[in-house]
This record gives sequence, C-alpha cells and structure tokens, in this order.
Amino acid sequence: MRNEQTPFTLDTAQRELEAIREMVRPCMQCGTCTASCPNAFAMKDPPRTLWRLLLLGFEEEVLAHGPFWMCSSCYTCALRCPRGLPLTEAMAALRRLAARRFPRTAGRNAAFYETFMDNVRRYGRVQETALMTSYFLAMKNPFLPLEYAPLGLRMLGKGKLHGPSAAQKGELQPLFDKAAHKGERP
Amino acid sequence: MKSAYDVLVVGAGIGGVRAALDLAEAGRKVALIDKRPGIGGLLAKLDNQFPTDHCGMCKMLPLTERDASSQFCMRKGLFHRNIDLMTGSELVSLEGEPGHFQAVINRKSSFVDPTKCIGCGKCAEVCPVRVKDEFNAGLSERPAVHLPIPHSIPNHYVVDLEACQRCWKCFEACPAGAIDFKLEAREQFNILLADPDEKALGQYTKWFEDLKFPFIQTRTGDETLSLLSVDDSVWMLLLDLSIKDMEPERILTRALELRPDLAVIVLGGPNKGEQAKKLVGLGARDFMLHPLKRSTFTPWLDKQYMRIMSDEKASLDVAAVILATGFACYDPSEMSGILGYGELPGVVTSVEFERLLSGSGPTGGRLTRPADGGPVRRIAWIQCVGSRDVKRNADFCSSFCCMASIKEAVLAKRALGKDVETTIYYMDMRTFGRDFDRYRRNAQQMDGVRFIRARPHSVLPDSAHPGDLRLTHMDDQGVMREETYDMAVLAVGARPPASMPALAGAAGIETNAFGFCKTQDLNPGRTSRLGVFAAGSANGAKDIAESLLQSGAAALGASRLVNLFAPIRGRVEEPVPVFRDVSRETPAILALLCRSCPVMEHGPDMDLIRDRIAAMPSVRAVETVERACAKEGWERIRELAAAGKPNRILIGACMPYAYAPRLRELGALIGLNPSLMDVVDIHTPLFSQPAAATPEGQARAGEDILARMSMSAAKLLGADPAPVDKVAPAAPSALVVGGGLAGMTAAIGIADHDYKVTLVEKSDKLGGLAMNLRTTLQGADPAALMEALVDQTMKHPNIRVMTNARVSLSTGRAGRFMSIVSTPEGGVPVEHGAAILATGGKRAKVYDFGFLERKTVLTHQELEDRIATGVLDTAALSTVVMIQCWRSRDATRDYCSRVCCAGAIKNTLRLKEKNPGLRVFILYRDIMSYGFSEEYFTKARKAGALFIRYDLDHKPQVRFDQENRPVVTVHDPVLRRDLEIHADILSLSDGIEPNDVSELSEIFGVPVGPAGFFQEAESKWRPVDFLKQGVFVCGVARGPANMAETIVSAKAAAQRALRILCDKSMAKAVVTAKVRESLCSRCGKCLDVCPYGARTMDIANDRIVVDELACQGCGSCAAVCPNSASYLRGFGDRQVMAVIDASLAGLGRPRTERKPVTMDDAAGS
Repeated sequence: MRNEQTPFTLDTAQRELEAIREMVRPCMQCGTCTASCPNAFAMKDPPRTLWRLLLLGFEEEVLAHGPFWMCSSCYTCALRCPRGLPLTEAMAALRRLAARRFPRTAGRNAAFYETFMDNVRRYGRVQETALMTSYFLAMKNPFLPLEYAPLGLRMLGKGKLHGPSAAQKGELQPLFDKAAHKGERP
Repeated sequence: MKSAYDVLVVGAGIGGVRAALDLAEAGRKVALIDKRPGIGGLLAKLDNQFPTDHCGMCKMLPLTERDASSQFCMRKGLFHRNIDLMTGSELVSLEGEPGHFQAVINRKSSFVDPTKCIGCGKCAEVCPVRVKDEFNAGLSERPAVHLPIPHSIPNHYVVDLEACQRCWKCFEACPAGAIDFKLEAREQFNILLADPDEKALGQYTKWFEDLKFPFIQTRTGDETLSLLSVDDSVWMLLLDLSIKDMEPERILTRALELRPDLAVIVLGGPNKGEQAKKLVGLGARDFMLHPLKRSTFTPWLDKQYMRIMSDEKASLDVAAVILATGFACYDPSEMSGILGYGELPGVVTSVEFERLLSGSGPTGGRLTRPADGGPVRRIAWIQCVGSRDVKRNADFCSSFCCMASIKEAVLAKRALGKDVETTIYYMDMRTFGRDFDRYRRNAQQMDGVRFIRARPHSVLPDSAHPGDLRLTHMDDQGVMREETYDMAVLAVGARPPASMPALAGAAGIETNAFGFCKTQDLNPGRTSRLGVFAAGSANGAKDIAESLLQSGAAALGASRLVNLFAPIRGRVEEPVPVFRDVSRETPAILALLCRSCPVMEHGPDMDLIRDRIAAMPSVRAVETVERACAKEGWERIRELAAAGKPNRILIGACMPYAYAPRLRELGALIGLNPSLMDVVDIHTPLFSQPAAATPEGQARAGEDILARMSMSAAKLLGADPAPVDKVAPAAPSALVVGGGLAGMTAAIGIADHDYKVTLVEKSDKLGGLAMNLRTTLQGADPAALMEALVDQTMKHPNIRVMTNARVSLSTGRAGRFMSIVSTPEGGVPVEHGAAILATGGKRAKVYDFGFLERKTVLTHQELEDRIATGVLDTAALSTVVMIQCWRSRDATRDYCSRVCCAGAIKNTLRLKEKNPGLRVFILYRDIMSYGFSEEYFTKARKAGALFIRYDLDHKPQVRFDQENRPVVTVHDPVLRRDLEIHADILSLSDGIEPNDVSELSEIFGVPVGPAGFFQEAESKWRPVDFLKQGVFVCGVARGPANMAETIVSAKAAAQRALRILCDKSMAKAVVTAKVRESLCSRCGKCLDVCPYGARTMDIANDRIVVDELACQGCGSCAAVCPNSASYLRGFGDRQVMAVIDASLAGLGRPRTERKPVTMDDAAGS
C-alpha cells in the first residue's frame, strides 16, 4: 500500500498542512486540550502550543519537535474541546505528514508506528515478540534491544509477552484494505 | 370568557413587568400572563445584583401616579390599576392582524380557589409527595401542594398536578374547602370509547370502577360520529387507532367539527407514535400508546379529566403582543461526567449558588456544600458552561455570566469573610458595560478575587480528602497547576425556555438558530410577525439593564400600534373618580369585622371584640360581615359603606394587600378617598399564636386583634383628610437634544404618538456618529437606515428640527419645562413636558505613531470606510494588524468602548472576503463578542484571522521600517515568545468618548459620571431615567453602544417620556413630604439626604420647596430634620405616636407599679 502513494511534493505538503490548519482555526486557546491530555508531560509542545505554532506559521518547528508522535489517540481533547475541533484527527494528519516530509527526524517514531500496524495487519492482533523483532530490524541499531531490555523483562514478568500465534492471522486484512480504499491513505 | 386589553404581555419576569408597567403608566390596559405561578421570573430567585450588590427591583415601580400601583417589594407582587396579572397562563393561539389580534390563553387551574385559600398550610402538611423545589433551584424539596414563592402576596397554595399522587389528603385536610379536584362530577363525565375490540369496554370499566367514569363503546368510525352528532353528553373520546372502517384523522376532524370542545385522547399500538403525534397536531388533546397499564393509565386519564374540568380558556382582544419569554439556564447534567455536576457534592450551578446565599434559600443564607453540608472556604467559578460551546449548539455568549460570577465572588467574600479564596476561571472576561470593567478591577484589587484565564477541563474528586474538588489548568508559564477547592460554581449560560417552540408556534413567529426569538438586526424589538414585539431577553440573554431597555423599546412599538388603532378600537376611557372633601367633617369611622373564616370556628369572642371596638373614639358603627373576601361579603360592605356615609372605613379581614383594587372601587362608589380606608390583618393572630385553641390563647389572640384594630383606627384618625390637589396637565410636547441616531429615533417615537417634538442639533445637519458607519457586523446597511431616518425626521409633521442650535437655559419641572434654544436667528423659547438628552459621543482621537502623518496607520473606522469605498486596494495587501483596546480599559479611559471588537471582526471578515490569503492579526485583551456576535468571532477565526492576546504589562510595541511600514512586536502568551509582525496596515481601535456635556448637565441639573457619560438614576433598574423627573438619556450619551443598542435605548427613553406627556391630570400621590415653614431653620440637611432631588432651597423667598411629583415619600427628610419641620403626609409624628400608643394600650399587663410615662410627661421633661 505504501507503494501506491502519490509522489510527494512541497505543494501537496503545503496543502495538507493547510488542511490541518483548517481543522484548528476556530481554536480560541482555552487550553482544555493541554490540560486534559494524559501525554502532555511528554510533549515538547503540548497541544495548545502545538496548534498555536501551526497557526502562526511555525510548522517547521512543530514537525521537527514532533510532539504529535506522543499522542495516544485517546480522543479526550476532541471530546472536551468546546469548539468541537477534530484534534485527534489533526494529530494523526500531522504524523502522516511528518513521516513523509521529515523521514529522518520522524525515523524512530514512524518506524514504530509502521511496524506496529504491519504487525497488527499480519497477525490480527499485536504479537509482542514479532513486533519487537521487526522494530529492532527496522531501526538497524544493534544497541536498541539493550535499551528496551528492562521494559521487556517487566512485561515478561507480568505475562504480557506472548509467543507467535497464527490463530487470528490475516483477519484484519479486509479492514485495512477497506480503510485504505476509503481514505485513500497509506 | 372574552375581554379587551390594549396589549398582551407574555412572560412576567422583569422584562415583561417593565414592558407592562411602561404601558400601564402611559394609560394602556395590559394583560400580563406567565406560565409560572408568580412574577419576577429568574430574578425572583436572585437576591443581589451588581453593581450595588443589593436587590433594587422596587426601583421599577411607578414614580408618577404612585397611588395607581402597589408600592411594596416587587418580589412579593405587583398590583397596578392598568395591569391584569394572569399566572399559570399560556398563549395558545394568536389570530388576526396588528391592531386587532385575538389571543387565546389557557389558564391552568391550580385546583385551589384563591378566594377561599387562607394560606394555613394544612394541605402541605398532609401531602405525602416530595419533589424538587423550583424556587430553590432544586436544592430543597416541596410537597405537591405548595407555595410557589414563599413570600408572594397574595400567597395561595397551588397543586402541582404532575407530581400529585391523587391521595386527596389535602382535599380532606383543607379547613376552607378551597381545594377542588372535581371528584364528584366524574359520574357525569361520559367517556366514549371508539375501539373495535369487544373486550375493551369491560376492561376499562373494570379499571375505572373506583373512579366511576361512565364508559360507552362504539366499534366503528361511523357509529362513533353518529353517536356524537346526537349525544352531547359525551365529554371525552378515547380514539383507538385500531379502528378500521375510517381514517382516524377523519374521525378526529369530524368529531371536532361536531363538538369543538370535545377532548380526544388517542390510543394506539406501540409503533403508532408518529401517527398519534400527528393527530395531536390536528387537535387531539393527548395520546398514550399500548400496552396500557392500569397503574399508569388510570391516574393519567384522571388527571386529564381534572384538567379538562378545571382549566379555563380566555379570549383576549388586543392591539399588540409583547413576548418577554426570557431564558432558561443551561442544565449541566449532560456534562456530569466531566464537571461532576450532580455527582460531586461541591459542584453547583450559579443559580443554586445564589439560592445558597439567599436568606430565603434552603440554608437560610448559610453557605455550605449542599450535598454534605461541608464548610466552604475555597470557591472556584468556571465560566462559559454551556456558552460559547459549538458542540452544544451554543455558539453565542450569554452576556450576563461574567459579571454575575464576579458579583457572586464578592458576595461570597462578604458572607464568609475576606479570607475566603475566590477564583474565577474564564476565557474572556466580558466586562463590556460602561461600568463593568471598573467593577471587575475593584473586585480584583479591593476584594481580592482571583482571576485565572484558563478553562479547567474537568472537576475531579480528591480521593485523599472526600468532598474536595481538584481543578487543573495550564497557567501562562505553561505549567500545569492543580488546585483544590471546596466548591465549584458552574456559570451556566442561557438557553431559550423549554416552551419556546410551542410559544413561537402559537404566536406565529420565527426563532433563530439557537431557538430564541428572531428579530431584525437594526430593529431588535421587531419579530417576524408584525404587531408582535420581543422584550427583555426574548431575543437573546441580556443583563437586567439591557433587558429593561429592550422591554421599553417593545413597549413603544406596542404603544404606537395601540395609538394608531385607537379610533377603530374605540376603548372607553375609565371615569376618573371624584372624592368628596371630608376635611371639615368630624371623623366617623365605620369598622367592619370579617368573622367567618373557617379557622375562626374556635376563635376568640368576636362579640366582645366588637363591643370594645365600638367603644373606641370616633367609631361611628361596628358591623360584622360574613366572608369579606367573597362576593357576598363584599356586597354587604358596599351596602354598609354607602348607607352610613362614614368618612373613614376600617376593615378587619385577612390579606390586606389583596384589597387594594377593591378599596379603589369602593372609593369611587361612595366618593371617599381610598387613603382614608384601611384593611387590617386580624387573621394571622389566630393561627400564629401557640395554643390558639385554648382559652388563654384565644384571649391573647383577641387582644392582638383589638390592638391591631385600634392601631389602624389611630392611623385613620391622624390621616390628613384634605384632598390631594392637582397640578396643571403636562405640556404635550418634548424636547430632544441631539440629532443623531438616538435623538431621531426618540423624536419619531414620541411624535408618532401625536405629541410635538423639538429636536435640537448643534451641528448643521442631522446624523451624528452613526453616519460614518458603512456596514454592521450582521451585514445590515446603516447608511440606508440613516438616510431614511433623517428624511422621516425632517418630514414628520410633529417634529420641529433646529440645527446649529443648542439649549442655553431650562427651568421648570416634569410636565412643564421652559427652555431657551439658542439658534443663529436668536433664542427660541420652547415649552415641553419632558426632555431627552441624546447628545451622543465621538470617536476618540489617536495621535500615537504619527497617526496623522503615516498612511499605514488607520483607525478601525477609517479602515472600514476605505474597504467599503474601495479606496484601499485589498489585493495588494499581505498583512494587516489590528490592535484592540488602544487606550481603552486603561488609565486614559477606564471603560470598554464596546463597539471596537465587533468593528475589528467586521473589518476582518470584509477583508477576508475580498482577499482570502490576507494575513490578519488582531491583538486583543478580551474579545467582547457578547451575545450572538460570538458567532462572527468564530467566523473570523475560521476565516483565518489570528487573535493574539496581550496584557497591560506586555503592550504591543510598534516601530516603522524604511518604507514606513509598521512592525509590531507582541508577546504571545501561549508560545511565550515575542512575535514580530511586518504589516502593510496597522489599524487601531479608537474607542468612543462622550461629547462634552458639562454645560447641558448644569442646564438640566443632571449628573455626569466619572467617564464623562451621563449618569442615569440607577444603572440596572432605571437605565434611561435621571433622578430628576422628566429628563431622560439615551444612546451613546449614556455609554458606548452599537447601533442596535442605541435604537433600543432611544425607544425606551421615548416610552418613559410618553408616560409623563400622556398624564393629563398629573395627580399627586397622597404620601409626600411637606415642610412646616414656621419650624424650618433652613439648615439644609434635608437637601442632602433627599435621594430623588425633590427638594430645593428657594433663596428668594427663604424657604425649602418640595417638588411633589419628584418626591417619592421615602421619609428621609422627616427623619433627618432636627426641628420636625419636615414631615411626611400620612406619617405625621403625632399620628405615628398615636399608633404606637394604641399598640401598647392593649397590652394592659403592667409589670411594675411604676406609673407609665405618657406623652405629656415625655414632652414636659
């Protein structure tokens, strides 16, 4: 699917950016999104600042910092926004844009998203061990597994690491196909 | 029942009351209806209003012809000669044309006969039902039979049929037999059941066997209709949709043709809801869907029966209709998961908070957490709950909540002490009124109210301290802050009342996108139907002053129609009663005692009381009557009064206030001034005494009654019997100063009522400030309006326009002023009954940044002009910066100019229309897009305008580059960095300043406020009046206003002036202050204390003069006078002392042997 994508040009990037701005234009900086975001602590520019930077034309900064990668799509901000703005969608759109326009800075985050989605598509649910392997392969960094070792051990201890299973293999493929067809997105 | 009125006012909140009073004072007959059981609307629940932080509703009471109206607290009630108040009433339909409408009113029965209810409360004691009490915003509970407003006068119990369980205990308990559920008439209430099912009749008969409704069944539509055509004893038709032979619609319409008052109840299968609703639309009374259950269906049908038997329909002929439907407060229950309303004990709405502060509230004014009674030391207000919320169809600002929350914070400090922490979380603090910003600053600086610009996303419980609330917000440093509070007050916004769609349908008017009355932009009182006007908050939530102005404007519109159609309608003027002069007669009191109240069965010995009253001085006769309140009793009183020719009448009965209209009628009948009659409450002692049934209790009650009667007798004896003299009728013309939008609108408003108007304009042509406007925010065409208005003014036969003229002298008083107008041709004397000051204002001059030299710096006004005329090449622009509050709301001008935010948004939208790619930056402090202009604020943001907030510590800095283009540096608080904007044009909000009116203020003797605008009598309750009677203010002269607001205030002022001009008799009130000149030492103390400016020192004749029209009888002068030279007619020293003596004489239980001190002794010592 990624192969079918349209050639990336600056114009389309600008257009996509404009579409994202369109989503957040009515924002009145009340800050409800930031205050309710569970991941705001991990973002360089929390949501309110992020929208503001976008609107004031600091998009390079936004894309370089990449706070949107920290969004866990919990939709709390969109639910609480008094202006009813599609904030979670805007976050996703930014991720898509960043993955293509700033592949280098996006690298690690984008690689995780991609391997995660691939994993889900292939196995019909997350297969932690397989996800781990493909993520490390994609990152091409031999030291990365060491960094994740403590997390892996903790998960193992809690029984959260499952071995490969083909029980639901390919079950979500039609869903992905349909989504790709409808949204015409990678 | 059919009756004729001039105007029907729907809604008796303060908006409706103001409209009704404005019309009634100008001699119009008004029917005032409200679906609730009392007047006052939302304001009945709110005790305190800013800026005084007190009530003040009574300031709306009539100031001229005071004796026509009740003169007590309006929260208790209002009785005006020209207003008929109908509570529990709703408008059902409105047919006809402007000038002759036929309105049908449904008067819902309260099931308690107000002429019989004595308010003893026995019914409420036995009622087993407990539901939430609306008066206390649901914080307390009430029975189904209850007092809707605890302090109302008269106060009768009402039955809430929806909550009633039909146990009839109240019916059995009522000692007065006032409660009537029509229990007996059921056997005559024939119900026709149209149902093909054979078993139906048996089933229904069995279900209703206790209720004894007689059922008849028909099985086909034909059979049903033929039965209805011959049998007229059927009251109700139960139409089951399973009937096959005929369309149910046809049966319904045919049945209603045969019997228009037949109650048709539709019964249908579970999926027939839509069809049943359609039938209700066609005239069926109600519907219920199968499967029916006995437990729900029988009480439901029984209640339908009670309504059918007890409710009344009234038909009114009126010339115009005013809708003062007000607003409901948003119910935050749907946000309970986020804001914790209804779940966390400390979360309350602003209305609930006001009830908690109120002495008549559920806690008697003690502020505690309602759910758990916990203490309250830290309170947070959360603004914009249900306002400015696109997701809840509320892309509007409710306009009143910001100021209400500041007031509540100040009140909380006052109630709980200074150390209570009060915090207001807000997005924009909308202090757009003339004095609002000052009030906010005082709250912040003097009262220590904390303001935080943030919107807490949710209210969370504190698990460590049960009851505490956690609020998180992000502060301006970008740090997340969590604070703990005991109470969170949700500043709930406005919604149209729930009944608005039904009312709009009945009145045939359109509603706007949010469900409020749709009105025209530059004619805000005008609804989509001619002859139907919007008053108060019907066309959008407003604060008190704006609501009253809107009501005044609506009243003027209605009054104009009444005037136009008066010759056709031909209403007969009521005769003015003539009273005989009794000042030379010896006092002869006729005392009447009502003795048949049901609670008096075991009462004291009335014969003894009668004998003792007869022994009082000057009592000519004592009579007892049965039920003075009922028709027969009153007939008897009329007979006795007419036969005995007494010159004082003393009635001992109950509920004295309710007698006011009757005393007026009696006075007209026997030619005796009602001020020489008095009604005494002899009823309360009977059940307020503990152990009233015991002999001692009865004896004490008897003494009490006697004391009350003798006090009243003393009061009547001391009353000044001299007739009230009348002054010359008012001059039927008005003087309007200022020929701008406000002046012309007011002049036409008065001139259309056939009074002459002199319009004085200082420049050489009419128009003023509004002439410069090109468009309005809503897209109306101000230029066309102004052109038409100037034309209309110049051509109006009743208006004399004087240009290049000014008023140089004015003397006289309300009703008859004499002014000199200086014109180029010389001084012209003008006699007028009222004056309206509409001197307007001007755009402030901006000199900064070489404003005059550089073409790149403009004001909003000039920018608007250049966009409209096309002088500005918008395509060549890339960036425009606008700076708001340029020298407004700071040390130079400490008020909000109100029009600049809308002006900036308007310009932005026009610029964006012409050049969508243009970058527009608006640097603001608070965007004042109040009311429905919020929508345009959203539009401007959507169009791509960038709003950057600044505060006074970080004012935007402006410099210029080599090409003279402005470079603006501003600190963005969200990004916490300075932005440098290179702009093509810098537009500054110039703000509005008042014209210099110091001379006029002296000429007319009216005050000017700190900002240079005229100071009205009371900013909330008397927004266009001056303390000086007969002079009014409107438009920008009273404070910054946009065109629509100017028009509204001008019309309101015109209506207030009409009230004086129409007064042909100028009858004075009985209770006014007088001066005994022989005792007066001219110390002048009374001049200082008179709150109405009614007193002046006549230096030439060396005496104090009281303007009896301006005097409102408050008594301040009498209290302050060291020599008792100043006194109040009707409350003379001797009279009041005699009343006190009478009250003590009855005690007759000297505790000591000492000789009681008499008046003579006191005078001698």
